[in-house]
Amino acid sequence: MEDLDFAVRYPFSSQAKAALDSSATQLNESIMFMGSERIKRGLKGESGKSAALHESDKINEIASFAAARMLLAFLNNRFITNKFAVAESKRVSSYLDSERDGATIAKVGQELGFVSEKEGDSYLVPIPIYLSFSPRALPYKLINREVRNGRVVVSPHERVRLMEEAVRKRLERVPLLKDPPKIISDAGKKLVSELPKSDLPQVQVKPGDYPPCIIKLLDSVKKHENLNHQARWFLCVYLMATGMNDEEIIGLYSNLPDFSERITTYQVQHARKKAYTAPACATITTWGFCCADCRIGSPIYWRGKGSGGRG
Amino acid sequence: MGFQLPVAGSEVALAWFRRYYENAEFDIPSIEQREFGIGNRKKIDSRHLNFSGTAEFRSYLVSNTPLFVSFSTGYYRYPGATPMQKKAWMGADLVFDLDIHAEGKYGAYALLGKVKADAIRLMDMLKDDFGISGKDIHVNFSGNRGYHIHVRDRSYLGIGSDERKEIVDYIMGIGLDYRAFFEPDAKRPNDRMERGPRPDECGYRGRFSRAVIAELVNNPKSISRVFAKDDTRKRLIDGIKAGNWNSQPFKVNDFISRLAPIAAKLGLSSVNTDAGVTQDLSKLIRVPESLHGDTGLIAKKVSDIDKFDPFRDAMIKLPGARESLKVKFVEDVPELPLGGELVGPFKKDEQKEFEKPIALFYVLKGSAEIKE
Ligand code: SF4
Repeated sequence: MEDLDFAVRYPFSSQAKAALDSSATQLNESIMFMGSERIKRGLKGESGKSAALHESDKINEIASFAAARMLLAFLNNRFITNKFAVAESKRVSSYLDSERDGATIAKVGQELGFVSEKEGDSYLVPIPIYLSFSPRALPYKLINREVRNGRVVVSPHERVRLMEEAVRKRLERVPLLKDPPKIISDAGKKLVSELPKSDLPQVQVKPGDYPPCIIKLLDSVKKHENLNHQARWFLCVYLMATGMNDEEIIGLYSNLPDFSERITTYQVQHARKKAYTAPACATITTWGFCCADCRIGSPIYWRGKGSGGRG
Repeated sequence: MGFQLPVAGSEVALAWFRRYYENAEFDIPSIEQREFGIGNRKKIDSRHLNFSGTAEFRSYLVSNTPLFVSFSTGYYRYPGATPMQKKAWMGADLVFDLDIHAEGKYGAYALLGKVKADAIRLMDMLKDDFGISGKDIHVNFSGNRGYHIHVRDRSYLGIGSDERKEIVDYIMGIGLDYRAFFEPDAKRPNDRMERGPRPDECGYRGRFSRAVIAELVNNPKSISRVFAKDDTRKRLIDGIKAGNWNSQPFKVNDFISRLAPIAAKLGLSSVNTDAGVTQDLSKLIRVPESLHGDTGLIAKKVSDIDKFDPFRDAMIKLPGARESLKVKFVEDVPELPLGGELVGPFKKDEQKEFEKPIALFYVLKGSAEIKE
């Protein structure tokens, strides 16, 4: 019974797979339907906890996750996959936050290739693992962390945050699905036809000549990768300076997997009102987004290929 | 490499390189999983080569002697496959390229000592902060202006490019927020600090704390004139050792700001990031113990870096090395410490006879021509 609850909470785990196998659940239309709904909730950014009470409900819920993963493999759409990954990882994170038993958290960690060691009120995480799963945000930057003989000291909350990131990364990879069974392709086509057009953004960037750091960020947006707060802000301020209007920028940001129209609109309008100037190359380097040595002081001074070069 | 070697020079150099390669001591772990590249006009003219073992590699170098030979930091299932995606990447050494740029063709050589000091600091960081054991850290001279450090710790082999970039930032001190090391006192945040970094702490906290103490000892006035007084200075240093930074007369923010120049110097400046050596998962880098085509020096493995002198220890020492070769300088050349003694300076058109490695050094640098 406990194992089943674990599997419901952490449906990517080997326990979940074992539970499905032993229940001999077959893919059927109702499970495909639940899988589709799960993806739709992900697209809306919803990540509610399970309400399943009975054993059969629990099994179905685990199966809905597996069905969703197969649908995502069939759709092979990075945006939908990444949205799903963000929502599901937030769901896992809220479970982990409420988990009392250290052993359970360690077990989830094991599933994700995440190890840590308790020390007093903190945890020690090996640097390579820390680097693989830490959010790209200034407080998590390795240089500002307490580092001890190959390990990074993190708080319990930060540890959960790292595991959330590990789940997200794992779910961003979907297996290749060759010759999908009809039940999956049917459900997949149906799902796509039901999605409001506005849920599937298309990247629209005015063609132009951008400095390397901006090109890199735009590439990430196109691939529906997550950008941290500084990256968003920098890109936004830069694009404003080159004459993009608010709608265009918000439209562009809708490509990000954790896009929220309300928050983005607020932030873009706020940046417009404050009339920020784009940061200098030195600042951008500090944030880790500089990827060339253009020698122009600020990306704003980029004037096409002729201006750059590495001296 | 903007110049073309005069034919006679390159023939003599390549014949000499060939003799060196006949007996050079290569030790390339998992050589069969590495991609190789060779170059004559550029450092890499062609790549995607691979070898089943040292013997095959050596015989290739002896029969097709190039001026430069590099190998991948990455390990592949199919190192010779093209395009890159087909190679099946399995991991990569964590590699750092340390060098320095300076004015003129010979300017950087005067600064090699600084690069060496950085290499030593980097090795300490790798051991102390990253927990990497000394046996997994391999250092070699680049053959020209710096040092390469290859880390072969299993737990780091699989990490991606972004993660490697974070490590570079760490080592270079990029993004350091040293102000966050100080906790203001909750009740009197402007006047007191609850806690600050101690010198015995790990990572940048300890490094910063130790650097401040060193500055107080060596150059106290750079922080403030008040620390020129022995007892004032001593009180602060004793406090810092216990994490108490309050034994000084300044407001918290003012005092912390005075320490900014110290924080700014904590990172290593000679890590070469232009070419993305550390981040690029499919980078080719000079093979240790191979020759550098711009100098004829060996990319020598370094076992005791403190004692290593590139211009003595990285010179080819073959039986024929004593033979002399006559050259004519085509430009002015400054004095240099070659082969353990000071050589030069020389003027354009001057003719000189040197032992072969030194003569070829000038020829490969493009500063001299061989005289028959
Ligand atoms: S040098 Fe400046 S403009 Fe160029 S990539 Fe770096 S930050 Fe961008």
